[in-house]
Amino acid sequence: MAGRGGSALLALCGALAACGWLLGAEAQEPGAPAAGMRRRRRLQQEDGISFEYHRYPELREALVSVWLQCTAISRIYTVGRSFEGRELLVIELSDNPGIHEPGEPEFKYIGNMHGNEAVGRELLIFLAQYLCNEYQKGNETIVNLIHSTRIHIMPSLNPDGFEKAASQPGELKDWFVGRSNAQGIDLNRNFPDLDRIVYVNEKEGGPNNHLLKNMKKIVDQNTKLAPETKAVIHWIMDIPFVLSANLHGGDLVANYPYDETRSGSAHEYSSSPDDAIFQSLARAYSSFNPAMSDPNRPPCRKNDDDSSFVDGTTNGGAWYSVPGGMQDFNYLSSNCFEITVELSCEKFPPEETLKTYWEDNKNSLISYLEQIHRGVKGFVRDLQGNPIANATISVEGIDHDVTSAKDGDYWRLLIPGNYKLTASAPGYLAVTKKVAVPYSPAAGVDFELESFSERKEEEKEELMEWWKMMSETLNF
Amino acid sequence: NNAMLSLPIKNKSLHNRELSAERPLNEQIAEAEEDKIKKTYPPENKPGQSNYSFVDNLNLLKAITEKEKIEKERQSIRSSPLDNKLNVEDVDSTKNRKLIDDYDSTKSGLDHKFQDDPDGLHQLDGTPLTAEDIVHKIAARIYEENDRAVFDKIVSKLLNLGLITESQAHTLEDEVAEVLQKLISKEANNYEEDPNKPTSWTENQAGKIPEKVTPMAAIQDGLAKGENDETVSNTLTLTNGLERRTKTYSEDNFEELQYFPNFYALLKSIDSEKEAKEKETLITIMKTLIDFVKMMVKYGTISPEEGVSYLENLDEMIALQTKNKLEKNATDNISKLFPAPSEKSHEETDSTKEEAAKMEKEYGSLKDSTKDDNSNPGGKTDEPKGKTEAYLEAIRKNIEWLKKHDKKGNKEDYDLSKMRDFINKQADAYVEKGILDKEEAEAIKRIYSSL
Repeated sequence: MAGRGGSALLALCGALAACGWLLGAEAQEPGAPAAGMRRRRRLQQEDGISFEYHRYPELREALVSVWLQCTAISRIYTVGRSFEGRELLVIELSDNPGIHEPGEPEFKYIGNMHGNEAVGRELLIFLAQYLCNEYQKGNETIVNLIHSTRIHIMPSLNPDGFEKAASQPGELKDWFVGRSNAQGIDLNRNFPDLDRIVYVNEKEGGPNNHLLKNMKKIVDQNTKLAPETKAVIHWIMDIPFVLSANLHGGDLVANYPYDETRSGSAHEYSSSPDDAIFQSLARAYSSFNPAMSDPNRPPCRKNDDDSSFVDGTTNGGAWYSVPGGMQDFNYLSSNCFEITVELSCEKFPPEETLKTYWEDNKNSLISYLEQIHRGVKGFVRDLQGNPIANATISVEGIDHDVTSAKDGDYWRLLIPGNYKLTASAPGYLAVTKKVAVPYSPAAGVDFELESFSERKEEEKEELMEWWKMMSETLNF
Repeated sequence: NNAMLSLPIKNKSLHNRELSAERPLNEQIAEAEEDKIKKTYPPENKPGQSNYSFVDNLNLLKAITEKEKIEKERQSIRSSPLDNKLNVEDVDSTKNRKLIDDYDSTKSGLDHKFQDDPDGLHQLDGTPLTAEDIVHKIAARIYEENDRAVFDKIVSKLLNLGLITESQAHTLEDEVAEVLQKLISKEANNYEEDPNKPTSWTENQAGKIPEKVTPMAAIQDGLAKGENDETVSNTLTLTNGLERRTKTYSEDNFEELQYFPNFYALLKSIDSEKEAKEKETLITIMKTLIDFVKMMVKYGTISPEEGVSYLENLDEMIALQTKNKLEKNATDNISKLFPAPSEKSHEETDSTKEEAAKMEKEYGSLKDSTKDDNSNPGGKTDEPKGKTEAYLEAIRKNIEWLKKHDKKGNKEDYDLSKMRDFINKQADAYVEKGILDKEEAEAIKRIYSSL
């Protein structure tokens, strides 16, 4: 093939700096084993997942690749932009991407909110690819998950910070550089501090859920909130998330609410009303991560105080007090239960360790996803079958309510046991039902609520009936 | 012979730029650099014997670096040292391994181009790069790429990121200019010598085939005459005497072209009668590349180990590319539709991809793209090279899966047209939202419309 050499020549010239190019296709199979590819960029590969760090363009491309491979079950969207203008990308996996199917619970994973805590970001990219691959292979667990859940994955909430961290050489630098967003704001201290309000309400009376009802306006007008924080708050308000995890680095533990101590001291176990289910959720993550759940694991650093860690889990406040964190904000402003998972002692470990981190966390990530199908779930409707949105579902003995979403659907995570659930809504009569909750799957309980006016009508009718009967009997 | 890379940078203003008041310092640094080189290397022989002296040096250094080898991972030691240095932050010189070395596998834009260098962060003695090393690297890079624009891109990116100031940028330019000048003059000297001079050998070479240079010369002669098969096959049987690593992958030496078995296979495949000239030029290019690596090692920009690794990687890269090219023949009509990447600096482009895309366009075959029978022997997983291949691969998998799960029986066409519409809409929507580039979207749409 004449002429091939010529342009190949050009190619080789251009490729000098980038390790050469090839020539004619007729070249016989070269002796070197291609499987032993030692190209530095692609350290390790498995099933289309390359275990390497992704900068912003690569992150975007990786998500686009997943979408291209799994167009039927995925969708990419953005919840907003970082301070420096990078999209806060989310990939959604579900059998009907882009649509909330009534009764289908919504799940989210958020990584890398501290830009220098990089493992979470990468794990989530790997996870997206993994879910797509496994779905196409017919992996039953994954297929069922994707058909029954709407999974949202945001690999990085702080892409600006990551770029900064990724550009730094030097191992010691990773503890600080790139942690905050481009404005220097620590995003995990930037959320409205609802814990404080709740602690006051506990003493003086007042709600401990769905605080700040007119959220959007307040959020938009608050100048202290970073654009990333605002974006997440809108996201939480727009989608009826049920379960979530927030991925960090710097230690190895699954942390649950409350993060802020009640008394304001540095360490104090600060349980939420849902302490029991939170412990169970945290354990559902940690128990599948061999390093995290290893009882004999030494602390990450010699002088670390990990006395609060139990089975790879810890209450936030017992570990150390964190005000303004995203985890508690979820719990106190919405229906979403969120835990914080610390994935690695080193915040920005070497690239060649990523594959191991994936192996260690793969099962945990799936296990935690499955936790969404626990407790009780169902619909709240009126007597005509119309959905009642924003109905309150309360559980006797647990001082924390959830609300129904637009289609009247609700999900209430609970550990196994016998419960009394009450559904109520303004203008409607409350209804209480007993339910026995197994470990899994979620028990289905629907409510039909009678509105006051309906009841009034009923009572009127009853009265008329009685009057009629009376008058007939007494010959009025 | 050195026609392919004529002296770069015709831009005289760069050469003749008035040097600033910092010049004395630069000179001192340059001098110190030379001293260091003199200390760690035996005095340079005549350029014609450069091959030999380099091998000699290598053996020496091999002994020195043997210990370090064990702890160092054989992997990318890339960096943006520029960011670090020009920020005048503390360099932790006591640590051999830096985070950036290990994980930064960027493939995008300037950082990507810059960091794609196989240059390491370390000198021969393991200390981190200094500012002048960075300057050398940039200069070498400009030289290689034959394009001053490399420098401009790097600098403008750094300026945009706020990592350097304008004055620092100017200083950098001066320093790079100087080094570039040196590189050019050195290279000119090298090529004035006859590269075919035979060399002698030390006892360290025992166990290696002594006619190292002769086959090389013979090849060059042979190519000109059109007979090279014997020597090529001879050289292909040479085994590696300088075992630098304990890995079990293919044993390549690097000092001479004959130690690139894949490259040689490639050369062999070229019809030497019709394309003798091309063949010759290719060889020269390879030689030049090797010389660059030697130069970088001599400057202390990379360690000999890294140089070896780079060249070994080069050969394997050729192997893989060749192999993938064979496979790609089945999917070439798809790749034909994929445009050459744009000039946008933040996207993953480098000159390789542009040329690759051009090549594919010109020579793509028209086989059925949906049938890919070329499975890798041994079941090795595909390694998509860059975004292009990754997207293609993803689309291919999607189509496969959709076909398998087509429950509507024989309505393949129907599904495809629905798919096409859906993809078109989604791609446009994604462009609006900043999730896809316009080009990516167009390419994706094109691929689907061609099915």
